[in-house]
Amino acid sequence: MSETEGMNAKQKLGYYTQKFYDDACAAHDKGEFVCWSSSIAPSEVFTTMGIHIVYPENHAAAVGAKHGALEILELAERKGYTMDNCSYSRINLAYMELLVEEKKTGKTPEALAKLDELKIPRIPLPDIIVLCNNICEVLLKWYENIAVSLNVPIVIIDVPFVHHPGKIPQRSIDYVEAQFKRSIKQVEDLCGRPFDYDKFIKVQEQTQRSIAAWDKAMGMASVVPSPLNGFDIFNFMALIVCARSEYAAEDTFTTLANELEEKAAAGIDAFKGGEKTRIAWEGIAVWPYLSHTYKALKALGMNMVGSTYPSAWSIHYEPGDLKAMSAGYIGCYYNTSLDNRVDVVSSVMENTKCTGILYHNNRSCKNMAVMNVEMEEMISKRTNTPFASFDGDQTDPRNFSEAQYDTRIEALSETMEQNIAAKQNA
Amino acid sequence: MYTLGIDVGSASSKVVILEDGEKVVASSVFQVGTGSSGPERALKEAFEKSGLGYEDMAKIVATGYGRYSFAKADKQISEISCHAKGIFHLIPTARTIIDIGGQDAKAIRLDSRGMVNQFFMNDKCAAGTGRFLEVMARVLEIDIKEMAEYDARATEVVNVSSTCTVFAESEVISHLSNNIPKENIIAGIHASVASKACGLAYRTGLEDDIVMGGGVAQNAGVVRAISRELRRPVIVAPHPQITGALGAALFAYDEAKKH
Amino acid sequence: MSKVDTIIAELDAISKNPKKAMADFKAKTGKGAVGVLPIYAPEELVYAAGYLPMGIWGATKKQILKATTFLPAFTCSIMQSIMELELQGTYDDLAAIVISSPCDTLKCFAQKWKGKSPVIQFVHSQNRDMEASNTFMVEEYKYVRESLENTLGVKITDDAINAAIDVYNENRAVMRMFTDVAALYPQVITPTKRHAVIKARQFMDKAEHTKKVREIIAGLMSEPVVPFTGKKIVLTGIQAEPDELLKIFEEFGIAVVADDLAQESRQFRTDVPAGNDPLYRLAKQWQNVTACALAIDRDKPRGKFIVNLAKEYGADAVIVAMMKFCDPEEYDYPILLEDFEKVGLRNLKIEIDQQSESFEQARTRIQSFVEML
Repeated sequence: MSETEGMNAKQKLGYYTQKFYDDACAAHDKGEFVCWSSSIAPSEVFTTMGIHIVYPENHAAAVGAKHGALEILELAERKGYTMDNCSYSRINLAYMELLVEEKKTGKTPEALAKLDELKIPRIPLPDIIVLCNNICEVLLKWYENIAVSLNVPIVIIDVPFVHHPGKIPQRSIDYVEAQFKRSIKQVEDLCGRPFDYDKFIKVQEQTQRSIAAWDKAMGMASVVPSPLNGFDIFNFMALIVCARSEYAAEDTFTTLANELEEKAAAGIDAFKGGEKTRIAWEGIAVWPYLSHTYKALKALGMNMVGSTYPSAWSIHYEPGDLKAMSAGYIGCYYNTSLDNRVDVVSSVMENTKCTGILYHNNRSCKNMAVMNVEMEEMISKRTNTPFASFDGDQTDPRNFSEAQYDTRIEALSETMEQNIAAKQNA
Repeated sequence: MYTLGIDVGSASSKVVILEDGEKVVASSVFQVGTGSSGPERALKEAFEKSGLGYEDMAKIVATGYGRYSFAKADKQISEISCHAKGIFHLIPTARTIIDIGGQDAKAIRLDSRGMVNQFFMNDKCAAGTGRFLEVMARVLEIDIKEMAEYDARATEVVNVSSTCTVFAESEVISHLSNNIPKENIIAGIHASVASKACGLAYRTGLEDDIVMGGGVAQNAGVVRAISRELRRPVIVAPHPQITGALGAALFAYDEAKKH
Repeated sequence: MSKVDTIIAELDAISKNPKKAMADFKAKTGKGAVGVLPIYAPEELVYAAGYLPMGIWGATKKQILKATTFLPAFTCSIMQSIMELELQGTYDDLAAIVISSPCDTLKCFAQKWKGKSPVIQFVHSQNRDMEASNTFMVEEYKYVRESLENTLGVKITDDAINAAIDVYNENRAVMRMFTDVAALYPQVITPTKRHAVIKARQFMDKAEHTKKVREIIAGLMSEPVVPFTGKKIVLTGIQAEPDELLKIFEEFGIAVVADDLAQESRQFRTDVPAGNDPLYRLAKQWQNVTACALAIDRDKPRGKFIVNLAKEYGADAVIVAMMKFCDPEEYDYPILLEDFEKVGLRNLKIEIDQQSESFEQARTRIQSFVEML
């Protein structure tokens, strides 16, 4: 693609992210359709039909990262939502109301204008919405509310929770395959034309190439010292979420992988020689405090190299094999048993040679918090590494305390360095 | 005819003696609440001021958290109804009431007859209540009554958490150690309390006039912060701390007229 | 005491002593009990095995001491109580624990059972308006049945399940009759008594429970109907407990004329349809569940359902009993508010917290609400 010729990975990330938002906003004027989708839903089906996909979670993360969350969260609470509800959903549902108000009155509500001023990209209202509950069950309720508020069709890919480690039950695969077939019918109904199965294969092939490039780039985190700084995972994540079935992801991650390989070969690492310890970060970023959480770790020489996010989007399947695609979406890390999660995290830590792990007890996310205590103990035993946890929230700035975070990571740092010293002296 | 209203809150006891449902002949406030000598002392003072006694009271109505522990009441009525009644009596144009007490905060929507239409409460959390201000005043080592004055001299509203009193406390300490002037920290504390109260108030639809009652309404800094947040004028009811007891005394008058 | 009150007192005593209920059942049948967590589960499979299905919905006024080690503070209130009891060994005599996974908390909770009994976790489909969903549920129920057979050492035949479904459907029909009749006699069937009759289902052989409730209905209908001068309300939520809270309703002259509670009417308003294949019948029942926060429906009919209930039973208002930290119920709430506001249905939200020992705040809100109506 000539538009991105000569750009480095970071520039491509910025270019493509903006392009997707811009294209989505221009869609309706071109008579094209827009879909709101959860972060690990089957983009393949929608991309095949040329439907622009917008990701409310990504958008909410941007609102949080650019410090626009507080006021909009309060708007959601005025509607009757509580602080207990996932902050991504609160932000999105309030943002949706603002867009509806703007459409109805022709005037931009002040709260929306403020977000525009903060350079938070606009997203258009959707013609259809899709969710896959592989990341959580809250999506079912959140999107149920969008569907009834906007009166739009909803595509549900309900992936039954895999409550035992091992093979995914055939009944789940069959059920999800039937739902994929139904989703194809639903997009045909929306677009008023038949589904192009040949294009579908091509889109699946692109998806696999994008994922392969993502795997390669993310895999560089296992180099010691790492050329990849873990917070890069959080930053680049946007593109594997919103461009998984597009060339954009393949382009950007191939470039990123090359850059990282060059750095590794030249012995250049992310902390410029300052990496003292390597940690896994279990959970999502604290978007409103990205800078503080990163700088505090860097100051202690703690590089975050381990994360389950890379593998979450690493959904491998043979293009054309709908059953395999179903299994891929069902088997996403967040949809699996405690035992499997312990396996995955331990493997990540082993591959990326982590000396410790930090748990984000996310106020917004029960799926990422309720099993943390057991995970801490089991993973610690398995990998023989120390852990620490802190209280935070993905986008609600009121649920995080810098002082608490600093104290906890300092303690973890001290323990890890102690362990390393002990090993060296042994 | 004399009627008596007593508001036994968790942090304070208030008494109003009313003549013919119109004139306040005596009122008293004691900064100790239910389960203490507060109610008795407030009563004693009100009786002394008015030269009246129990036998002169046609009816007595109790309200507030401790209303059921006051044996001599003829009736117990909730503080939502009593604050609404009291404030509407003082300000008949009141349609939205914001009341911040020692341990809770409420927003009440009234109709044109002064009847309660809807109400929203926060009674599970110290943030946004008088208790929050007490804790912060202690951290700043100033008298809670001086907070409004300090606020008036603020040059900036510093960020203070409105969710968790413990987090907010550590933020205030952190601001102090960064040499942020107390005036600006206090402005932030007031904004934090205002934000909680406004969260409740928005649910009412915010019809004018917006009137504040309750002990914290005596803090001009908080009132200003609420008015700023809502971008609307906010009237402070006269003697805001006794509006609940006044409402109770009015209800007592209604009761007395019935018999 | 009247006959009706005597039976209700009996039922209440059963609910308040589940261990005794289990022991009595074992003495009578030689078989034990299987715990069933909220909200929906194929209890008929347990019944068909000859075991007593016992509902596990937490406790009241339960202080949480040990469970804080394992659960974040923002975990739903019911789960906190259950974990506390689990850690105390309260559930260890149960032969198995059946846990559904409709929400993130239950889904994760089932993965970390600290008691000694084996856990059988299963999933409900949520894309329900398609035949593939029924096919999935049949297979998932097959898995539950096999797990029960292996754990209990019992064969569960199709005939036994079909017979169990008949017993359960009869109980459901009788319960619907009871709630209808109870609405006519609010002076006799106070909120506390109404709850006691319904809750006892969780701890009894449904056939026994049906007999008792039939006697209550007969006893009621032999009395004249007295017009009710208090306020009639519809209750909605997961549960409305404990008795102290229900007594506050009574204190202010409130009668519960209908409910949309997960612990109450939602357990018996959807029959298992007729058919030959019992697992398919159970799957179809799940497909037919409607107006519930835990059963996804793109039309979200729950608000209109409650509005209709209020109309049908002449209710003055709705009380939303919001289970603390319950995600599905909390997401439904703003849409319910819109539906209520559209028709001017008065409503109050109170918080249900199984850890609460004091109810003063609820009393203030309920009193203010009644004063407002």
